Amino acid sequence: MILYDYILSPSCYKVRLLASLLEVPLEVRPVDFHPGREHKSAALLALNPAGSIPILVDGDLILTESAAMLAYIAGQHGPGWLAGSNPVDIAQQQQWLAFSHRLTHALGGARLVEMLHFYGDLPALQASGIAALRELEAALFARRLSGGTFLVADAPSIADIACFPYVALAPDGSVSLDIYPSIRIWMRAIRALPGFIEMPGIHRLHELAPDPFEEASL
Amino acid sequence: MTPVNPVGDGTYWTMAAKTDAQWVPVAVSADILAGTVVPARLPTGPIAVWRSATGNLYANGDRCPHRGMRLSHGFVRGETLSCIYHGWRFGTDGACQKIPAHPSVTPPKTINCGPLHVAETNGVVWAAAKEPAEPPQFYPGYEALRSLVIVSTPAAIAAATNATIIDGAIQTTLGGQDAVLLMSPQGPQEVFILVLARPNLNLADRLAVSSALEALRRSAEAVEGAA
Amino acid sequence: MMPNTMRDAWYPVGLLSGLSDDGKDSQLLGEPISVFGAKNGRPSVESAGRTLPVVERFGHLWTSLGSPNKDLFTIPEADHPERKLVDVGVVRVKCSPLRAVENFLDVAHFPFVHTDILGAESHPEVSDYKVEIRDDVDEVWATKVEFFQPQAAKSAGGGITTEYMYRVPAPTCAVLYKTCPPRPGEWDVITLFVQPLTEDLCDVWPWMALFDDESSMTDLIHFQQLIFLQDRSILENQLPKRLPLDPAMETPTRADLTSVAYRRWLKRHNYTFGAQLVAE
Ligand SMILES: N[C@H](CCC(=O)N[C@@H](CS)C(=O)NCC(=O)O)C(=O)O
Ligand code: FES
Ligand SMILES: [Fe+2]
Repeated sequence: MILYDYILSPSCYKVRLLASLLEVPLEVRPVDFHPGREHKSAALLALNPAGSIPILVDGDLILTESAAMLAYIAGQHGPGWLAGSNPVDIAQQQQWLAFSHRLTHALGGARLVEMLHFYGDLPALQASGIAALRELEAALFARRLSGGTFLVADAPSIADIACFPYVALAPDGSVSLDIYPSIRIWMRAIRALPGFIEMPGIHRLHELAPDPFEEASL
Repeated sequence: MTPVNPVGDGTYWTMAAKTDAQWVPVAVSADILAGTVVPARLPTGPIAVWRSATGNLYANGDRCPHRGMRLSHGFVRGETLSCIYHGWRFGTDGACQKIPAHPSVTPPKTINCGPLHVAETNGVVWAAAKEPAEPPQFYPGYEALRSLVIVSTPAAIAAATNATIIDGAIQTTLGGQDAVLLMSPQGPQEVFILVLARPNLNLADRLAVSSALEALRRSAEAVEGAA
Repeated sequence: MMPNTMRDAWYPVGLLSGLSDDGKDSQLLGEPISVFGAKNGRPSVESAGRTLPVVERFGHLWTSLGSPNKDLFTIPEADHPERKLVDVGVVRVKCSPLRAVENFLDVAHFPFVHTDILGAESHPEVSDYKVEIRDDVDEVWATKVEFFQPQAAKSAGGGITTEYMYRVPAPTCAVLYKTCPPRPGEWDVITLFVQPLTEDLCDVWPWMALFDDESSMTDLIHFQQLIFLQDRSILENQLPKRLPLDPAMETPTRADLTSVAYRRWLKRHNYTFGAQLVAE
């Protein structure tokens, strides 16, 4: 599987993160998104006329939507990460995958304006990002009331992976996460999953590694 | 609606010094897991509230004495809080215990991240910059449910609930249930709300309170928008 | 209120390879500027109807709001023809331009911010190094800075102790020279050129001149963007926003002597745009 990847792209990171959690090897092809705008080059437009990354190529299969890539990788290597046969779970998973596009547009858009000089209506992007965060917070609070940690059913799923990166990077677009306790607890649970990898702006939980000073004194 | 960005501009607004020795509601107890640190606000500025591995609660200014990094971005190991920038480690008394860049040096006693006063009642975390004379207000028969921020003013929130503010709180009903709204202004146009409800509510009733709180936010913010 | 000294310094305002002929609006030291590609055949910068002086160097366009009394600094080592010159591209950071430079001069944060790349929590020690303000060139220098690094560069195979030299040749520019894994005896050159937009907002233009025959240009850009974006989440969360020049505000240790010298040098020259002189 070849992933056309950019180290600062939250959408590409979704795919790398799930692959890492499921221990699936990926062949990564770095794309000079910034400053080179290589995703708009003839070679990459031939693969994805939409001019966006990530692009996942597996033999004859070419995927250009990260949600589809998550479904494909989970389907092959981690069926537990896909909602099973229960219609409610299936529907909720679809609901959150669709919701993740709102996050990409709003919080991702604000981030590109604030960080990489892209053009966009920053206040409007931030306002719709905040509206989405409020919905997510309310939903995760409701999940906590019934003992759940993740978005769908009892286990982490591709819905969590699809929503996590743009939420965690909201501050890059000057949208604070300080006021969403249930989102904070959910993000922490994702960051604590075995095989979790970081991306710039989302650091690891240092406390999960052994304390080097304790080690030294043993 | 203006973006909710409590610390983003780095400003410290200051209120009358008399509020320094008053308990301010800053979080729901259940929202601060053991072994984690979270950001919160006092009228005097941003704070970091953390719960040690054994479950004890501490708070300090959200600013590392080394180079000013927000300590709420740090991490908790055992009974210590570490800064994410250079890993300086602070104990429950705020004293710096370890400077990783100089592992064999014992940090001078003067390096301290400024511990604040904390208390927990009704499932609410309260903090104060100076020790208040009295314990925090107790609300018999209530338990904290959830917190959120409303981009509005206490007066507009009171108007939206048809209630009056007593001791910085509103007693009302939300989703057909008794509720107390503790309020802490976060600046001229933002109010931190912590809602208390009856502890014996079933799941559906709790969800109803939470939904009604969201509806209250919509109407309080609409009042502001119209103004 | 801004002292003239900082108006007379040179600042990066764009990548030469990325300038727009139609012009791009930007800011410098709080004043609006427009940066043009080939408006009159050559790149130019205008501010409030005035044409500003420009220099083309290190892959970037440089300008000044005042009357620079010296040429933009040079980096002779970077001229070696076998070096790869890497235009990393702009990153905007909501922080003081001076805090951005200070962070770049610091190795003690590597284990916690660039974990398992530039540092490891098991090797956090910063041993003593040499710091001086070189009066002849009017630059801050730190030399013999040694640090253990799990992956010092894209070209580094495994953990090594790396030696660094740091140089501050202009108030918002820093150059670092570090051990070059494929060429013992040579130094890789990595720079941080900062365009101060306001006192708490800056555009950072990292640039590198490296010996590396293995990695692609894209790999090198990504490695540096990875590192710098790890710093960005720190820089946007330091309080107060402006760099405190009052020594009582923060607590330096021996590992921070470069930062201490940098702050002293800023104060000496009145380079205070982005600084806070007294505690609030
Ligand atoms: N197809 C969407 C697009 C993700 C996305 O927005 N990618 C950004 C980079 S993070 C991009 O390529 N933007 C360029 C563009 O859309 O023109 C997905 O896979 O989720
Ligand atoms: S700023 Fe906290 S350890 Fe350096
Ligand atoms: Fe760094």
